[in-house]
Amino acid sequence: MDLPHRLELFPDCSVTLLLFNHVKNAAALRKKAMEGSIEGALINPAMIVDPFQILVAANKAVHLHKIGKMKTRTLYAEIIFNLSPNNNISDAFKKFGISDNDEALLIVLVVDREKTVNLEDIISQVEGQQVSLDELPQLTDIVKVKKVYKVTPQEEKIGTLVDSIVCRMSTKDVL
Amino acid sequence: MAAAEAQASAVCSGMAGAGLAAVGDGTAGPDMAGAGAAAEAEASGPAVAEAPPPPLPGLQLLQQGAEALVYRGLFLGRPAVAKLRIPKRYRHPALEERLSRRRTAQEARSLLRCRRAGIPAPVVYFVDYVTNSVYLEDIADSVTVQDHINSVQRNGNDTSSLLVLGEKMGELLAKMHDEDLIHGDLTTSNILMRPPMEKLDLVLIDFGLSFVSGLPEDKGVDLYVLEKAFLSTHPDTEMMFKALLKSYAAASKKSGPVIKKLDEVRLRGRKRSMVG
Repeated sequence: MDLPHRLELFPDCSVTLLLFNHVKNAAALRKKAMEGSIEGALINPAMIVDPFQILVAANKAVHLHKIGKMKTRTLYAEIIFNLSPNNNISDAFKKFGISDNDEALLIVLVVDREKTVNLEDIISQVEGQQVSLDELPQLTDIVKVKKVYKVTPQEEKIGTLVDSIVCRMSTKDVL
Repeated sequence: MAAAEAQASAVCSGMAGAGLAAVGDGTAGPDMAGAGAAAEAEASGPAVAEAPPPPLPGLQLLQQGAEALVYRGLFLGRPAVAKLRIPKRYRHPALEERLSRRRTAQEARSLLRCRRAGIPAPVVYFVDYVTNSVYLEDIADSVTVQDHINSVQRNGNDTSSLLVLGEKMGELLAKMHDEDLIHGDLTTSNILMRPPMEKLDLVLIDFGLSFVSGLPEDKGVDLYVLEKAFLSTHPDTEMMFKALLKSYAAASKKSGPVIKKLDEVRLRGRKRSMVG
């Protein structure tokens, strides 16, 4: 498990990523997430190329939350929405949230300094094996990522895949 | 909050007083804010949000331009550049807000447009529409074309390499204009070179005044602005600019009308008439 990442612009907030594989109860977890009875954003790791992608989404979500301008109803929903290259919320959930028969799962938690979050409690709700974030690249579906983010071949020459993704994430609301 | 804002507005006016002396030493940046605040108490203006320096690790004030304060630091673990727009208090607040927001949005939009087309430009990490600041990729160890030309000319060696650089620039601008993207502020300090210098790996920056247009007139003016900046900042670079234009004409499919317009604009320029 990685150390939580501090958000520089919001020093009280830190972001923790938990990666799981061989998950058996994705359907139940998805239901819990929709009801709001589990803490964290439940994300499909196949669409994630690098933790930086999550940090950018989380940073934007916390910023919008603080100024009351989120597009979705909760901070965690907003993180999932921010991952999407377009402004369609339900599409974002479909592509980036977990689906009922997913076997891998990435949980993102944003913790305020005053609140304490019980990681063990969350981990115990997942019927699967927690693995190191280093295994994320093995779970990424690069072809699907390129397709969803519509990365152009010219773009691949001037930067990494994360670069292309992050640029789209951060500028989509001005398009 | 009010105290922070008052101090922050003093930061900007303090910096303005010190001018480019602020550049350089990392720790000096935020500390100068303290000294500045003591020296210049200023009533905090109306509506427009004043941005204090962002609390990034390794924060260093890079530069103060007319439009924005540019800082360097780590953002989400990556080397980044933070551009914080300077509110112009002489403007009506409503206009100021609108203009600031528009320029920030244009910059973000143009940077994405560049990347999509394969034109090297910094990646946008985060746009803050409250303070109209942008957090971008820091092009590590880069040198502006301006500094590079100056250093090559000073050392007197290998000035023919400048011609090749001019050609590369022409190619890059052709690509940009073929995307109907007008930079709006083309100067040699807005084009960066990534190391190693021989690779001529160029990156365009500062799209705050950019816009989209297919008109040869707008592209011609874009080139004219660059020509003026070139010739006024760098003496004896006429050949280099010629090489730039030649390469531009060859690389761009729509260059004919653009070069024609450029000639027209040159004739139009300031103080052209020989009337007393």
